[in-house]
Amino acid sequence: MERERWNRRSDFLFASIGAAIGLGNVWRFPYITYRYGGGAFLIPYFIALITAGIPLVIVEFGLGRMAQGGAPLAFAKIKKGLEWIGWLALFAVMSIFLYYSVIMGWIWNYIVFSVKAMWGANPNAFFFNKFLHISSGPGQLGGLNWMIIIGLALTWLWSYNYLRRGTKSIGKEIYWTVSIPWVILIIMVVRGLTLPGAVDGLNYYLTPNFKSLLNPEPWLAAYGQIFFTLSLGMGSLIIYSSYLPKDSDIANNAFITSLANCGTAFFAGFAVFSTLGYLAVAKGVTVPQVASSGIGLAFITYPTTISLLPFGAAFFGVIFFILLLTLGIDSQISQVEPFTAGFMDKWKFPRKFILPIVVIFGFLGGLFFTTRAGYYWIDIFDHFTCSYILTLVGLLEAIVVGYVIKASKMREYVNSVSEVKIGRWWDVCIMIITPIILGISLVMEIINTVRKGYGGYPGWVSFVGFGIVALFIILSVVLMKIKGKEE
Amino acid sequence: MNASAIAMLVIGVVILYGGLAYFISRAMKHK
Repeated sequence: MERERWNRRSDFLFASIGAAIGLGNVWRFPYITYRYGGGAFLIPYFIALITAGIPLVIVEFGLGRMAQGGAPLAFAKIKKGLEWIGWLALFAVMSIFLYYSVIMGWIWNYIVFSVKAMWGANPNAFFFNKFLHISSGPGQLGGLNWMIIIGLALTWLWSYNYLRRGTKSIGKEIYWTVSIPWVILIIMVVRGLTLPGAVDGLNYYLTPNFKSLLNPEPWLAAYGQIFFTLSLGMGSLIIYSSYLPKDSDIANNAFITSLANCGTAFFAGFAVFSTLGYLAVAKGVTVPQVASSGIGLAFITYPTTISLLPFGAAFFGVIFFILLLTLGIDSQISQVEPFTAGFMDKWKFPRKFILPIVVIFGFLGGLFFTTRAGYYWIDIFDHFTCSYILTLVGLLEAIVVGYVIKASKMREYVNSVSEVKIGRWWDVCIMIITPIILGISLVMEIINTVRKGYGGYPGWVSFVGFGIVALFIILSVVLMKIKGKEE
Repeated sequence: MNASAIAMLVIGVVILYGGLAYFISRAMKHK
């Protein structure tokens, strides 16, 4: 079976940029920047980008292109006994797409709600009580939510349509779903900057507090943000680069992808904080009192602002949620594709056979997160998948490339095909800086969770979380042991 | 905006968008 190929280099670049740019660029980066020293946070952020982000993107692009296969095949080609690391990345990505598609389902609903600002005077109560019908805790599942199920089905139908012809259908659609968010962000920035209070918001976003850099927290937050924002450890960048022709560049593509992603996050901060400045003025409070991130920003704070806009509330509400939807779909397909391709690579299943199975599995698995306790479980799965499995995969990737393949050999390979040559600094990043930072993050997270539990949930939740991590590791080894086709 | 916020804005723009423009121009040369 001949390997699929991108039609153009730009198809690959847009797909990689789309994979990296996701909801976190809008709802996480601006808040983290504000929280950890404003403009001063850019210093650890840029250092993290150069010493861990870009080097790891080069690793993933290099592995995929060298192996001409997804994460399991890439690790198996290095050493047969390492294949499980690739499967672990795919189990992480599976866990993510199961709940990510449900958040996409929420967003579909909020596009409709925005038309008439259906959240009324209390978006918080609307979101948790009227929309999610949230239960009292993760142990109380309750019934399914049909509104969310419809959104979930739409997301999976769109994902299927996006991926049904592989690189050919991705290459056609990706230009739209990467460009539309930028057009919307420009509209939102222009609107935000013309609102009263916008400057106050931007001052909170960017005024540097250099003293904060004396603490370790901003540095760990910067490395964490860079690691997750570039979609590392998921196998997405590995599979996309495996579709590159054999004479394609690696290093320059890595720089372009990383900078485009971080540039989008930086720009999104202007849209978010100019609007938060207005919200603070409208409510007669300070910006820190309204600043929020994640689900709170998207489904509570922003709807509150929309209700207070002097005109065009419905328009700005709808385009905000279309922004989230178009940001999210590229990430969603970049999660489904490596998972699907893992089975195509090992057992030579044709796409038309395995993709519908993955889509149906994703839809059925997502139903769990549409229950009344779904909100809690999204938070729990997100924490245990991102903080443990993705960090572990990133750590193992750096160790394998740095010490098993040898960083200098990988660098020679990358430089042999790249327009931009990387120097010995890259070896230091992969062999020392990245493993140390990811190792510290992993150990600190484990100690924190063991000591205090997670998120104020009952103790059994941590057992379930660690159980899922252990289960994924065991299943990864099992899949490695099962013989593939034409091995 | 205050002066220090503007300074950080300029630094961010130069590094992120300047860097992006530089690497895209390198890619265009090798097309």
